[in-house]
Amino acid sequence: MTTTEAETIRYATVVTQVGPLVPDFIHQGMLVFFGENAPAELHDFSVLHRPDVRTGGLSVGDVIDLDGHRFPILAVGSVANDNLVNLGHIDLKFNGQNTPPLAGDVCLPKTTPPNLAPGSTFQVMCADPTDK
Amino acid sequence: MPEYKAVKISKGRNGWGGPLVVKPTADRPLIYSVTGGGIHPVAQKIADLTGGQPFDGFKSSAPFEKVAVAVIDCGGTARIGVYPMKNVLTVDIHAATPSGPLANFIKETNFVSGVGADDITEVEQ
Repeated sequence: MTTTEAETIRYATVVTQVGPLVPDFIHQGMLVFFGENAPAELHDFSVLHRPDVRTGGLSVGDVIDLDGHRFPILAVGSVANDNLVNLGHIDLKFNGQNTPPLAGDVCLPKTTPPNLAPGSTFQVMCADPTDK
Repeated sequence: MPEYKAVKISKGRNGWGGPLVVKPTADRPLIYSVTGGGIHPVAQKIADLTGGQPFDGFKSSAPFEKVAVAVIDCGGTARIGVYPMKNVLTVDIHAATPSGPLANFIKETNFVSGVGADDITEVEQ
């Protein structure tokens, strides 16, 4: 292993809008993303975004990068990857859990999620480039 | 004017809630699919049996007052509570149970989960 090996990008996107209820969700250790074509009733509590890379393949051990803040993925719910690839939808739970409480969850270390704004970046990177 | 029929939608394997009886009306004709990959087969079957109008929530928007039933593929956090909160009957493809920040709005009378095409049956009138 070297420190220079390339990271495979599974998903990369730029935030276009942050709903007015997102701070309440952050307070509960949660960030909900949807692609910007999501219906209006989902906008209030969602981070909306426009993806550039939508390969998918979310796995435990991948790294989620939010504006340069990096978080290792601890658990991936059974429908999380399909939601992300199809709808740009992901529920990030900063709960420190190794098993996902809900099928849509992606669990990250227990901490307060970072505040996001239009222009913020969200990436999922595979640390092992041989695992595509 | 189309003539609408009622269907009964029962919970599927490991599902929760329901059964719901859905019958579109002229005022509420839409079978509102808020799912990945276009109109979900469950939404299409509800539309086929009731005469309702399939509608892709990710392609265009519609007022809730027009929606007969919402079909979602929610893993339990967000969409699961949004439509019950708006008094819209809600069918989840996934076998989710009430959860997430809006769990209080999810009742057996407005929500059914784990639903597959075989869980939708015509209602004799």
